[in-house]
Amino acid sequence: MAYVAVRGGTIAIEESIKRLKFERVKKGAIATIPSIEGGMRGLIDQVMSEGSLYSETLAAIAIKQAEGNPEEAVFLLRAYRSTLPRKHYSRTIQSEDMLIERRISASFKNIPGGQVLGATPDYTHRLLDFDLIQETEEEARQWLSDFQEIQEKESDLRDLIQYPKVLDYLRKEGLIADCDNQDQEPDDVTRKSLEFPTSRSQRLQVLTRGQTGAVTSLAYAVIRAYGSVHPTVGELRVGEMPIYIDNPINQKTEEDDAYYLGEMKLTEVEMLIPVTVEKERGKKEIEFEIGYGICFGQNETKAIAMGILDNCLENKNPQYPTSDEEFVLFHIDSVESSGFISHLKMPHYVTFQSKLDSARKTKRQENASQKESNL
Amino acid sequence: MKRKRRTEILINGSKELAAQLADEIIHHYDVETIEEPNNGLVMVKVRETAKKSMFYMGEVFVTECKVQINGSIGLGIVKSHDHELAYQLAVIDAAYNVGLQETSEWTSRLLGEEERIVEQRKTAQSKVLKTKVSFETMDDE
Repeated sequence: MAYVAVRGGTIAIEESIKRLKFERVKKGAIATIPSIEGGMRGLIDQVMSEGSLYSETLAAIAIKQAEGNPEEAVFLLRAYRSTLPRKHYSRTIQSEDMLIERRISASFKNIPGGQVLGATPDYTHRLLDFDLIQETEEEARQWLSDFQEIQEKESDLRDLIQYPKVLDYLRKEGLIADCDNQDQEPDDVTRKSLEFPTSRSQRLQVLTRGQTGAVTSLAYAVIRAYGSVHPTVGELRVGEMPIYIDNPINQKTEEDDAYYLGEMKLTEVEMLIPVTVEKERGKKEIEFEIGYGICFGQNETKAIAMGILDNCLENKNPQYPTSDEEFVLFHIDSVESSGFISHLKMPHYVTFQSKLDSARKTKRQENASQKESNL
Repeated sequence: MKRKRRTEILINGSKELAAQLADEIIHHYDVETIEEPNNGLVMVKVRETAKKSMFYMGEVFVTECKVQINGSIGLGIVKSHDHELAYQLAVIDAAYNVGLQETSEWTSRLLGEEERIVEQRKTAQSKVLKTKVSFETMDDE
């Protein structure tokens, strides 16, 4: 058969794009960028994390354009990112330098520095608050002003920077083996495609920019039935991390000569994973491994899930798909997975017609054979 | 004052301070812009705590600008889209790099602003620490 190119969709496409705008504005009210930045922190954090680009304002614009659809917003953010030059690499950040806003452990009740709950919905009743229908900006400003005016007792003046790490405490106790810094320069999956087996830096980069739902679901599968990991949150911290670059003009690397760029909010999780190891004379002992998770913004479930998958991919248990690098790393990226699935709705006229031709031909041959046998 | 501390104060402090300091230079010296404020990315490198290895966690959106005063280049770079502040930071950086006399008078103003930032941070911290749990011990562990 001959394939014939078709055209004629231009006007329909133009009208479809107008229709999209109509859907966004048809109620006569629009979400402003400040209102999205002010009231959609959770969505902004998710979009920045999956988009692998830290900018609350750009994420807010993407959310507005995508009408709140996270996969579309992430696509927009990634597309914009690809138009920008990468100017520098940051100095290596370490979570000890984080200004803590929240820091908890599910493994130890009494941790050095204590459990600081910060802002979390964990202890709310999850009942819809219908008062929010009537909330005005004036009321919100008044509440904020009252909240900020309350003078707190200066009973605890602990600095929330350089807050003690639970892991350091466990390493000092000898409960977790310490290790030296590994200073090998990381690979970058945005510059070189994944090849298997992957390096640790590639795995962590793909996990941290993974789709929240996909990362969470796979980690849930690990714990429920498709893994042998029984983890506990050793430490979860949320806070502001300062970012610096070395002096690019004089190529100096002294810390004091660095440029400060600002802060970004991160969630970091260290999962403690008990493993049974066989010692001398067949004696079995429990030791702890660590699964590491970190994301842009306050994305606690994703960071925990990343920590679980990190451990699975390190141990590579062939029994489970969640330990298979290709299975996990090739399927958790928002743009790749949603892009591929959604492309199925794009015109496939030619490929489908080809299959239909084959089906018709087979049918005709079957009918002809049937007639012959009936004669 | 060293660059790290100075840029922390100018970015975390009042925007007026950066504007005032830059103005003092712009009105008295020939400031040549060699790179207009423009947007770009900085890739963030992290040291993770499980194996203490490094990886790239994503990029932060920045504005960058370069100026030149008396042959010395100044760089201004700041998170987010802020052309004005990036330019002011570049001017201040160039003023320090060329060693202009004004910079010696800036130290006390920068230290004053730093004090204000520290006080603000203490207030914010005391609010966060109100969410610290005081366990009532019900057993020995």
